[in-house]
Amino acid sequence: MSKASDAILLVDDDAAVRHALKFSLEMEGFDVRLYPTPEALLAEHDLPADGCLVIDYRMPDIDGLELVERLRSRGVTLPVFLISGRVTRSLRARASSLGIEDVLEKPLSDLAASIRPVLDARP
Amino acid sequence: MSDTSIALALEAAEARLRSILQTVPDAMIIIDERGRIESLSTTAERLFGYDADEACGRNVSLLMPSPYREQHDAYIERYLKTGERRIIGIGRIVVGQRKDGTTFPMHLTVGELRTGERHHFTGFIRDLTDQQLTEDRLKELQSEVTHMSRFTALGEMASTLAHEINQPLTAISNYLRGSRRLLERMEGENVEMLRDAVSKAADQALRAGQIIRRLREFVARGESERRIESLPKLIEDASTLALVGAREHGIAVTFRLDPAADLVLADRIQIQQVLVNLMRNAIDVMSEGGAVRRLDIATATGLEDQVEVTVADTGSGLAPEVARQLFQPFVTTKRKGMGLGLSICRTIVEAHGGKIWVNSPPEGGTIFHFTLRAAAHDRENEDG
Ligand SMILES: Nc1ncnc2c1ncn2[C@@H]1O[C@H](COP(=O)(O)OP(=O)(O)OP(=O)(O)O)[C@@H](O)[C@H]1O
Ligand SMILES: [Mg+2]
Repeated sequence: MSKASDAILLVDDDAAVRHALKFSLEMEGFDVRLYPTPEALLAEHDLPADGCLVIDYRMPDIDGLELVERLRSRGVTLPVFLISGRVTRSLRARASSLGIEDVLEKPLSDLAASIRPVLDARP
Repeated sequence: MSDTSIALALEAAEARLRSILQTVPDAMIIIDERGRIESLSTTAERLFGYDADEACGRNVSLLMPSPYREQHDAYIERYLKTGERRIIGIGRIVVGQRKDGTTFPMHLTVGELRTGERHHFTGFIRDLTDQQLTEDRLKELQSEVTHMSRFTALGEMASTLAHEINQPLTAISNYLRGSRRLLERMEGENVEMLRDAVSKAADQALRAGQIIRRLREFVARGESERRIESLPKLIEDASTLALVGAREHGIAVTFRLDPAADLVLADRIQIQQVLVNLMRNAIDVMSEGGAVRRLDIATATGLEDQVEVTVADTGSGLAPEVARQLFQPFVTTKRKGMGLGLSICRTIVEAHGGKIWVNSPPEGGTIFHFTLRAAAHDRENEDG
């Protein structure tokens, strides 16, 4: 089972999406932290050792893939789920070359079901 | 024949050639077997900016940019040695260079003339940036690309719409999902009915999501057809279209095409649209003002199997209010603009597995870059 301490860090520039995902994930028992921009996440100093990242692909300034690249170069190894309104094969290919767990297409009727097995697999 | 009659015949022949060279509407250049210019037509003088006196006796490589300039002598030598025809009698689009250093795409046909042991070559040149370009060719290119660009614009709008609607749908279906979880823990006489209603509402949100997906698949149908294409040819065709009227605005165009960046895997018409959109934007901004008006199109081989294309202008740079969202649809500073050009560019380039970005050099102007996959190394057929 996923532990209560498993934090999900969620970055999406759309406020309604952000809050709705927090609500549904909390109802599934996860602890969720929200970031309205990639910069806000990059400014975060104490990233948890466990948990995962849920990152929107299409955001102004820095897109989701670029954000993942920057996090990786800082040594952040948390599993990442990329979410997007449009998932193409080339997006999938680029995501998997960055070691992203999965690319999920909105409207995301059951995000928890995708996340849970990955968190459970971690010791 | 006596010596005098030979001399007279020669003189007459030369006078005929001179008059031909003065009146022939094409740019025409005659060179000898060592590449030296023997004579050129008045149109060629005008096209390249050299007087006949200046040009005659010099190597014809003068009229082409690097790296062709350095290679030309070897081309002639190889032909004389092997007789293998690469351009003679075939005709090709190549790049020419004017006296002022600017370059331009041109169509070159080469003929061969033999007198005894000696070879001469005649080149006929058509300037492809010029208005004189055959109307038919222009119309053909134009109808292909504008027809496609209307279709692409429609697709871009549908896909933007799909994306925008997906956001509130994501919020709706996740609020409903959370609510259902919450209701599972509650008891009371109305809870059962509420649970049922919330489930049904969630199903409807998913149904709306599926409609959106279908709409997008519909506009994406048969969208791209990738083949091995010559990048210089794509650029030349696109410039032919985009540069109509560029001369009138006093815009000088240079091409710096790396011969190593040759074959790419691309949907010809889509990549032409990208190039046309970028060049039109550059022309739009430079037509508004500025002392130096220079459009520079360059190619280079990049990392791994990528080639990079850059379109640089010396315009006024990006307006701060659009700079952040440049590639988003409906972002425009133009009265008649739709703001779709760059978002279409991004959709196409990304569907080709490439990247597009912009930078603003300190000396002013704007440089757009995009990458494509080189065909030689490409094995897999990935798609958008
Ligand atoms: N080379 C450039 N220099 C300066 N600004 C540019 C340049 N290219 C684009 N822009 C800015 O970006 C905006 C968006 O460009 P885009 O091509 O997407 O739309 P548009 O040209 O306004 O309209 P459309 O292409 O749909 O006719 C432009 O309105 C302009 O403000
Ligand atoms: Mg435009």
